[in-house]
Amino acid sequence: MELKPLIDVKNLHFSYKTHKILSGVDLKLYKGEVVSLLGPNGCGKSTLIKLILKLLYGSGDILINDKTITNHSHRDIASYIAYIPQYNNTPFNYSVMEMVLMGRISKLGFFALASANDYEVANKALQKIGIWHLKDKAFGQLSGGQKQMVLLARSIAQEVNIFIMDEPVAGLDYGNQIRLLELINELSAQGYTFLKTTHYPDHALLISSRVVVINGGKIIADGAPHKVITKEMIQDVYSINADIITHDSHKRCVPIFQKTI
Amino acid sequence: MNYTKEIKYLSVAMLFLVLLALFSLFWGQYDIEISTFMNYLDYKLFLNEQSDTQSFALIENIIFNIRLPRILLAILIGAALATSGAVFQAMFVNPLVSPGILGVLAGASFGAALGMLISEHWYIVQIVAFGFGFISVGFAVLIGSMVTNSRSTVMLVLGGVISGSLFTSLLSVIKYVADPYSTLPAIVYWLMGSLAMAQLNEVFLVAIPILISITGMIFMSKYFDLMSLGDEEAKALGVNVKLIRIIAIILATLASSLSVVMAGIIGWVGLIIPHIIRMAVGPSHRLLIPLSAIVGGAFLLLADAISRLALSVEIPIGILTSLIGIPIFIIVLKNARAAWN
Repeated sequence: MELKPLIDVKNLHFSYKTHKILSGVDLKLYKGEVVSLLGPNGCGKSTLIKLILKLLYGSGDILINDKTITNHSHRDIASYIAYIPQYNNTPFNYSVMEMVLMGRISKLGFFALASANDYEVANKALQKIGIWHLKDKAFGQLSGGQKQMVLLARSIAQEVNIFIMDEPVAGLDYGNQIRLLELINELSAQGYTFLKTTHYPDHALLISSRVVVINGGKIIADGAPHKVITKEMIQDVYSINADIITHDSHKRCVPIFQKTI
Repeated sequence: MNYTKEIKYLSVAMLFLVLLALFSLFWGQYDIEISTFMNYLDYKLFLNEQSDTQSFALIENIIFNIRLPRILLAILIGAALATSGAVFQAMFVNPLVSPGILGVLAGASFGAALGMLISEHWYIVQIVAFGFGFISVGFAVLIGSMVTNSRSTVMLVLGGVISGSLFTSLLSVIKYVADPYSTLPAIVYWLMGSLAMAQLNEVFLVAIPILISITGMIFMSKYFDLMSLGDEEAKALGVNVKLIRIIAIILATLASSLSVVMAGIIGWVGLIIPHIIRMAVGPSHRLLIPLSAIVGGAFLLLADAISRLALSVEIPIGILTSLIGIPIFIIVLKNARAAWN
């Protein structure tokens, strides 16, 4: 029996004004996968994510849970997919608990306030990420790494299986980058499915089950990380040299300086 | 979940408001002894014989015809302005906007003045005021988004300044053509903001739409938290952003436009009250919106008491709220920066 994809992107096209951003993208996301989207700036990674979340409208089709996206309301989509944006700045400084509770909105009726059960779910989500002790802190005063963890806890409180992350490690210090990757790895082992964009082929090698490379609005490679991330691909997409080495039985990507002057 | 914190703050604020209202009811140019009032109630409700029934007519007149409508109106308008301010700030993810800054008050005052010129019907004046309040906020947003396509705090404020100036100029045209002996002074005094003209039946009429919009905003408050994260995040979390925004803006514009119809332009309440509350209890709209309603009402009641009692002549309340509001806002600006960034 063939496994059904959770998300099925079919022949997706998207243009901004006259500028073509995505042309003919096909992508399937299956349960339990960690898919990394690689590609240079402006290649259409973030656009693809926004199309899947119905934040933008393109032509072609996206099936979420076997139903076309045009028939899904945002509330429906929020009951399948959690979105963790690149950074979060709001002029209003909510507490961590308030931020996590916002993940429950799609579960609440129009007039309903968060119930004891919603608080329970939020508390458990914070415990799962290991930041329960921050629950009364102001979100704006947290470090970049802690903010990402709060958004992950919010996504867990959303009680969905699919997490879509836009460059989760952007702006984080080195330690927090690695800790966040470990956390994604742990959550994926618990059955969560991830689709994330990244600028780091090495990170893609570290935690992905599949890598998709987008360049010029088209998918140019889709497959197992060690097969997709090669010297040639790095040269082709980023115009730099890199070595793919094996360290502790893991493939790693190490960039090499070129003499330019 | 128990909402202990919310209940605590709301009850304290409500108690303060009630005490302030009682104080305003009995204290003024003519002080009414509580005991005299009790005797009056005893006489009216339980039909017991009292010695000084001749003063009761005066008490009745002062309390029910002069002070009570004024108190109720002050509370209603303060609540309407503060709640709309908090809602506008959430809708535009911009802590610097308010009904005044977005041009709603100017638009509504033009609309109300126009309404007064063309019709004697009270509800027409209300509808025209609301219509122009809505047009002016739309115009402010349009200008704000024309220059930059991203949501910019400063551009929206500028858009509001432009929209406000436009309607202030249009209002000047009405003033210019108005009869200098009757309509013009009426418009000018009304614009300075006054609660003195309040009649109990008028207050009840305007109370219904204002209370409906405040209640609506309170019921929607959980969505405002999400909307203030920005459209994309709110949508991704499952909020129907367009629907919530349009309903919220209509309700906030309705409440603040009607305040203009009743008492002219009363500035600063919608800007400072939400800030003060955010500094005291945090930004969560579940508490911010209802608390803004109560504290806004109490603030305007207090300002009205000062305007009545401070000097021998009554200062128009719109002038007083500006005089009180500006220093408070400077302090708020200084302290609030940390909370926005």
